[in-house]
Amino acid sequence: MDALPEFRIVSPTTLAEAIAARADNPKAMPLGGGTDLVVNIRRGIVSPQVLIDMNGVQELHAIGVDEKSIELGASARLSEIAEHPAINKYYPVVAQAAAHIAGPTHRNMGTIGGNLCLDTRCIFYNQSEWWRSANNHCLKTTGTICHVAPKSRGVCFATFSGDLAPALLALNADVDIAGPKGRRTIPLEKLYIGFARQDVPVTEMQGDGKYYLSLRPGEIVTAVRAKNTPGLRSAYDKIRIRRSIEYPVAGVAVALRKDGGSLADLRVAFTGTNPRPVLLAGTAELCGGVFDERVIKGLDALVRDQIMPMKTTFTPGHYRRRVAGVLARRLVSRLFEG
Amino acid sequence: MRETNLPLPARNIGSHVPMIDGPEKVSGRAKYTADVLGVGQLAGHIYRSPYAHGEIVDVDISEALKIPGVIAIVSGADCDKTFGVLPIAHSEHPLARNKVRYRGEPVAAVAAIDDAAAREALRRIKFTVKELPASYTTKDALAAGAALLHDKKPGNIERDVLFELGSTAQGFADADLVREGTYNCAEVCQNQMEMHAAVAEYDAVRDRMTVHASTQVPYYVHLMLSQILDMDMSRIRVIKPHVGGGFGCRTETLNIELIAALLARKANATVRMVTTREETFITHRGRPETDIRLKIGLRKDGRITAVKCDCDQRGGAHSGYGVVTILYSGSMLYAIYDLHNVKYTGRRVLTNTPPCGAFRGHGTVDIRFGFESLLDQMAAELGLDPFAVRRANLLTAPTFTDNDFMVNSYGLPECLDWVERESGWKTRKGKATGGNGARKGLGMACSHYISGASKPVNWTGEPHATVKIKLDFDGSIVVLSGAADIGQGSTTILAQTVAEVLGLDLSRVRVVTGDSEVVPKDNGSYSSRVTFMVGNAALDAARNLKSLLVNAAARKLEARPEDIECLGEVYRAGAQDKGATFEEVVTEGLKDSGTITVTGNYSTIPESHGGKKYRGSAIGGTMGYSYSAQVVEVSVDEETGVVTVDKVWVAHDCGKALNRLTVEGQVQGSVWMGMGQAMSEEAAYHDGLMLTANMLDYRVPTIQDSPPIEVGIVESIDPHGPFGAKEAGEGSLAAFLPALTNAIADAIGIRFNDLPVTPDRVFEAIEKRRRAIEKSTKNGGE
Repeated sequence: MDALPEFRIVSPTTLAEAIAARADNPKAMPLGGGTDLVVNIRRGIVSPQVLIDMNGVQELHAIGVDEKSIELGASARLSEIAEHPAINKYYPVVAQAAAHIAGPTHRNMGTIGGNLCLDTRCIFYNQSEWWRSANNHCLKTTGTICHVAPKSRGVCFATFSGDLAPALLALNADVDIAGPKGRRTIPLEKLYIGFARQDVPVTEMQGDGKYYLSLRPGEIVTAVRAKNTPGLRSAYDKIRIRRSIEYPVAGVAVALRKDGGSLADLRVAFTGTNPRPVLLAGTAELCGGVFDERVIKGLDALVRDQIMPMKTTFTPGHYRRRVAGVLARRLVSRLFEG
Repeated sequence: MRETNLPLPARNIGSHVPMIDGPEKVSGRAKYTADVLGVGQLAGHIYRSPYAHGEIVDVDISEALKIPGVIAIVSGADCDKTFGVLPIAHSEHPLARNKVRYRGEPVAAVAAIDDAAAREALRRIKFTVKELPASYTTKDALAAGAALLHDKKPGNIERDVLFELGSTAQGFADADLVREGTYNCAEVCQNQMEMHAAVAEYDAVRDRMTVHASTQVPYYVHLMLSQILDMDMSRIRVIKPHVGGGFGCRTETLNIELIAALLARKANATVRMVTTREETFITHRGRPETDIRLKIGLRKDGRITAVKCDCDQRGGAHSGYGVVTILYSGSMLYAIYDLHNVKYTGRRVLTNTPPCGAFRGHGTVDIRFGFESLLDQMAAELGLDPFAVRRANLLTAPTFTDNDFMVNSYGLPECLDWVERESGWKTRKGKATGGNGARKGLGMACSHYISGASKPVNWTGEPHATVKIKLDFDGSIVVLSGAADIGQGSTTILAQTVAEVLGLDLSRVRVVTGDSEVVPKDNGSYSSRVTFMVGNAALDAARNLKSLLVNAAARKLEARPEDIECLGEVYRAGAQDKGATFEEVVTEGLKDSGTITVTGNYSTIPESHGGKKYRGSAIGGTMGYSYSAQVVEVSVDEETGVVTVDKVWVAHDCGKALNRLTVEGQVQGSVWMGMGQAMSEEAAYHDGLMLTANMLDYRVPTIQDSPPIEVGIVESIDPHGPFGAKEAGEGSLAAFLPALTNAIADAIGIRFNDLPVTPDRVFEAIEKRRRAIEKSTKNGGE
């Protein structure tokens, strides 16, 4: 990894200043913990002339949690979230996901905003400038083909690997966005557009591994929030080759509610598998009864249909999909029985 | 009666002694090569080939030279000399000439006033080649009609080895059970903490070159600099600052050191070259991908009757240590068990990938994996305990093996006893099961290694090791040695050795290493030679110094030398004598000669040099073999394929533990490194481009993955080792690999012959078995 090239750092102290700084420097990039961005800069993957250091904007650090709702400012540290007693008590899926991210030093620096917007990853993309150049670049940078799927017709399959997105998708979270045209709030699910469909052109609403967020120019994520539901049980788990540092081979978040002895509500979300975190569609149809063979088979079928890892990591896609299903079943079973 | 206030000689051997360079390292004060900073230093950067195989048409540096701040650019045109660690295999140019053979091979290098200018210049270099077909795998390189990497290496074979000692035909005929297995071990890299770096300072006024290098072998660097620069050796000075590990990738001169020097001379300046992690990976010299076909014959009692082993190693584009690696793989079948009737064929294959080299456990690890795996499998088939099979094949020291290796001390039986007892093998083996989809298992295996190659690759006839000790008016003992401490603790061992002989506290001893201008030549830190060879030289030097001091004390005390008792800080002539202090003795000793200097030497004995029964049979010859036995306990999650190592018991026969703390650390480190190779590490390529040249995708285990490792030290007291010591840093690596897969086989009944055993491979194997069972049940039901 090479030394950092030169860049300028702008340090706003208010959100308005931060938005203005982005407007003034259209190619600037916001800097949170830098645990992903700085690595990409060193590798020459991105070379912003200006970085906007978001850490000085106090309002983005807010953490508001009680048994009714959770609201996390974009600059909240991953280690704070992982260790927060109320988050662990009421929203364990969020604390567990944060605790599973990378290693301890990354978590001390990394922020939830950075993790939610984490650049998608691919073995043909997360390489040095020399490497990518020797490999004729790829769709996600300046190249013309996707090395993962050379016949992809312009679709990039880089994988979304943030751990917190599935956790918050499982809680039905909303995300606050601020930009030059004001603020807006959208369901978190709508932030992610990495559908990577080969039958329709890539658009603002229908992206791929390259265009994976629905943020408009100059916009930043400022906070994420969710409401609690009485009786909600939630958990996160991930498979990784090593027990620290790693991005997920597959990560799964589950939130469910029981009504008496039957499954009343079930949300299952995945990361590390597709160009977007996937909130599994169709889980409502698995509810209404006990956790039995019908639910297990139904869950398996949904995973098979919607979880589609490609050869973007060193670990084969087939395994990532299968193991994602195993983790999902285990988590659902544990939360249902527990 | 002994007076209680008399000092006792300080004891320095055999206890837990913290490394003497620890304070600098843990406080960050230790200087590494990259820390060698000075005014006017130029930044050196390398232009690397994006092509895997091609004839060089042009290296156009004209545009690059126009970049402001660029001082000099060198390319293959600047140096027509070749280098290589083996005198018989100098195939490599520091910067490619005529051909490029792997993606990442250095083609040109820029010295500029800063990194930015140098990098910009790299972008302006125009490199034109006529591309040739490339072979990335052993199979492709050996295929008929494959493009040759080197004109003089037909069939892309760097070296083939063949020997048969005894009769395998007879041996297999005598066996009750004969089985064959094929094994594949992925290519792995060392991943020392410090990335390769070199700072070269050229003094044009005096035509002298000083090179700071992150190397294990300062002398080899010196030698190669002289050849490459065509400079007299007396004009060259090599300094090895603190080095952040090596594990074998720095046991030969690397192109970085040579390129930095070529650049410095052309720029008439100092060039600092610090490579990236990716460049360090591509510079490589790791363990080659190895394919093994192994056949063993066993009698019902577990006696091995014959062994046949075929081994192919994907060596990469240049030889490096390759010839030695493929020889070790064959010769080190011996000296662990009592083997006869052995046939070995080995091929070191040239491919368009970065050159492999000497990785910890050089040449022995992958072969040992195959051997101990097949032995375990066959033991089960014969209904024998894995320990019993090993015990049925033990050597009896002293002895010579069929290939003439000298074994004087042999602690393997005690190693076996220790791990068997401590792991509770007899009561737990085969009975451990687990819940929640996880199954537990126990596995064991053995390994061994040399204590230094008895014949160095650059044989000059000099003593194998030389140590000087200086003692002056201040009474401090200054040990001068060329031995390269790369973190393994050799400096501490030398200090302990000298202090022990003189009965002095360690605080009186200072060790000076790493500067060719000051210290005696040493061949370097490789093949686990330093404690044995340099330790013996230090022992010799210390004894010479002691004799000199005893004589001085005798004069001072008006006694006969043979009556002088050395108590370290006091020398006395008898129990009633108050004696003279160490300072007084030193002052007396200085009267003869002024500053006292003594020399200690060590040479291996001819009996240790291996025989002449086949070409290359010296490789593997050593003064003493270390032995290791391991038991590994695992849990296998059958639904996810995730294997967890719950605990490791490892016993290592190091002859005598001179420093129990560093022996334990080395043994734990070996286990841990073996764990990486066995479970997660793999140097993978996409069309010859290394995919995993970073610390995220190349998965070295983290401390979170490290199991408790119980270390048992077995002391067989080698008759030739310093205080009886043998090597401790490599021998325990290999056994982990088969002990792990044997444990997995015990847990789930599936044997893994391909490494690394990653969760996806475990998962696939379990799935495959499930499908087979379903199919047979279905067929059976019809």
